[in-house]
Amino acid sequence: MTTAVITGNGTATSGVRPEVRELTSAEFPAADEVWRDYHGTTGDPARDRIFATFLAGQIVSLARCRRHPDGLEVDGVFTPDACRKQGYARMAMNALVVACHNDDLYMYAVESLAGFYAGFGFISIPERDLPPGIRERYTWAAGNMEGAEVRPMLRRAGL
Amino acid sequence: MKITDILTTFVADARNRTALIAGLAALTLGGNLLAMVIGTPESLLPLPTLPLTIPIILASYWYPRRGILFSVCFGAVYAVTTYLLSPPGPLLAYTILLRAILLVLIGGVVAFLAAKLRESEQQMNQIIEFLPDATFAIDREGRVIAWNRAIEEMTGVKKEAMLGRGDYEYAVPFYGEARPVLADLILHGDPENGYPSVRRDGDVLVAEVYTPLLRSRRGAHIRFAATALLDRQGKVTGAIESIRDVSDEVMTEAALQNASRQLSTLTGILRTDLANRLAVLYGHLSLGVMKFDDPAVLSFIDDLNNAANGIRRQIEISREFRDIGTSPPAWIPVQQAVRKGAANLSFGGVSLEAWTERLEIFADPHLATVFTHLFENSLAPATKAERIVVTYHLRPEGCAIIVEDDGTGIPETEKEGLFVQKAESYGHGLFLAHEILAITGIAIRETGTFGTGARFEILVPSEGYRVV
Repeated sequence: MTTAVITGNGTATSGVRPEVRELTSAEFPAADEVWRDYHGTTGDPARDRIFATFLAGQIVSLARCRRHPDGLEVDGVFTPDACRKQGYARMAMNALVVACHNDDLYMYAVESLAGFYAGFGFISIPERDLPPGIRERYTWAAGNMEGAEVRPMLRRAGL
Repeated sequence: MKITDILTTFVADARNRTALIAGLAALTLGGNLLAMVIGTPESLLPLPTLPLTIPIILASYWYPRRGILFSVCFGAVYAVTTYLLSPPGPLLAYTILLRAILLVLIGGVVAFLAAKLRESEQQMNQIIEFLPDATFAIDREGRVIAWNRAIEEMTGVKKEAMLGRGDYEYAVPFYGEARPVLADLILHGDPENGYPSVRRDGDVLVAEVYTPLLRSRRGAHIRFAATALLDRQGKVTGAIESIRDVSDEVMTEAALQNASRQLSTLTGILRTDLANRLAVLYGHLSLGVMKFDDPAVLSFIDDLNNAANGIRRQIEISREFRDIGTSPPAWIPVQQAVRKGAANLSFGGVSLEAWTERLEIFADPHLATVFTHLFENSLAPATKAERIVVTYHLRPEGCAIIVEDDGTGIPETEKEGLFVQKAESYGHGLFLAHEILAITGIAIRETGTFGTGARFEILVPSEGYRVV
């Protein structure tokens, strides 16, 4: 069983190589624990694929791909404060993009991270181009994406 | 014996039913008349009709075709006698007429529903009757309630002789003695008892036995399949068992296994012989390299060495062919199969990324060999691939496992014959991959674009994959 306890700072400099892989269903609770500080996000094995960067057996970054009836949504890209600036999120995202590259991927990117996601092939799109099932999450913003500080993005299928 | 059992036995006889209806009719009509003759408080007149419905309901249920006639007659007798014996009243005639109509209506509705029920039972009996497999059913007490035409033909025992019989007598045509059969084991538990091997397929128990009594006492291999009969509450009310003569199937399988064993032995001998001679050839080639230093001769020896390597590879493939299908298919974690398939290959500078962690497919246990051959195709120096990626894609028709590389890819002209058995080139390996997958209905095709890399799609049907 994977533990999700994040300890210490700058662990990447300790010489242990980070490893990235997809979580098994049994490991989803460990991801939920890490996500507790990220809007209380939780994984659902029936709909989600979760990719994690591990360091010495501990999760240091997460990215989720959720299957909606009308498309795949990327979200839950999160690295705990103590583990940031080490490239762990990039590793988790890279794994997700390769693993799920057979489908178009949609997301609501945090405005300040739009450039980060552009590096993986995501492009900005009008909100109306998102599948309705994915658009539901930001219905409350009533189309005011700037106000919500998010940007609808799309990555076309392909490696 | 329970009271319900006594009642069931009693009403099974038509004469008892008629007597019961007549008795109840006389009792309720007589009671009605008696009450009016000896006097009933005027407020109760005419008397309630509820008890009068009992003989009507029973008559309509047991004899639906005559139920309405009986109800009309009964209602008429009630109406006439009540009208004549009741003290005159302003609405007496209407009240009595309405009650008589009500009695007829009740009789009509019960007769209609009973007729529908009989129709449904009749259809069910006909379905069982004309099932191609020998089939019988028993109730909870172990009495035969169905014995179809096919089982009559198989056992020579007529339906009339078997219906209603209990005490395991239905086992006699198969085992020569009265003993519990699979259907009894479903009713009374301990399903493994008395059968060499019983397997459960959902709610159905399946067993195979050899019995010397069938096929005119020449013996037969029989496959039994039994399941419980349930009522609407899910309570077991009996069991149904079908029996299939699988003698031809068993004999064909045995013959094929025998032929396969002989073929396997023969090819094993040839393979060993070939490997021994190949070892001698390798020895001579090694000596040749040491003995000659002429570049032309060395180049010639190198070519011979490559040819020998090709022969060795063919020997390995023929060994894999021998093992295909010898073990039953199973749910296999794809990621493990990919790792196993890659384990004995030299990837050099080529990277392998597999993203199939939670995927399992129902396949032949040699699934790893499929990946070995696909990777070999990508690792061939001519492809110039630097990266191999394994992913999966969920589609309405199933799941596609995709193995792709960034090499030169496969020319359009070669795609058609890619998975066909050929006497030369790498086609052997892909043919083997195709055959392994085909065992469980999995297809494979190449969908890459020449110039941008090869892309193999392993197409698993919906029921053949799961994400765990």
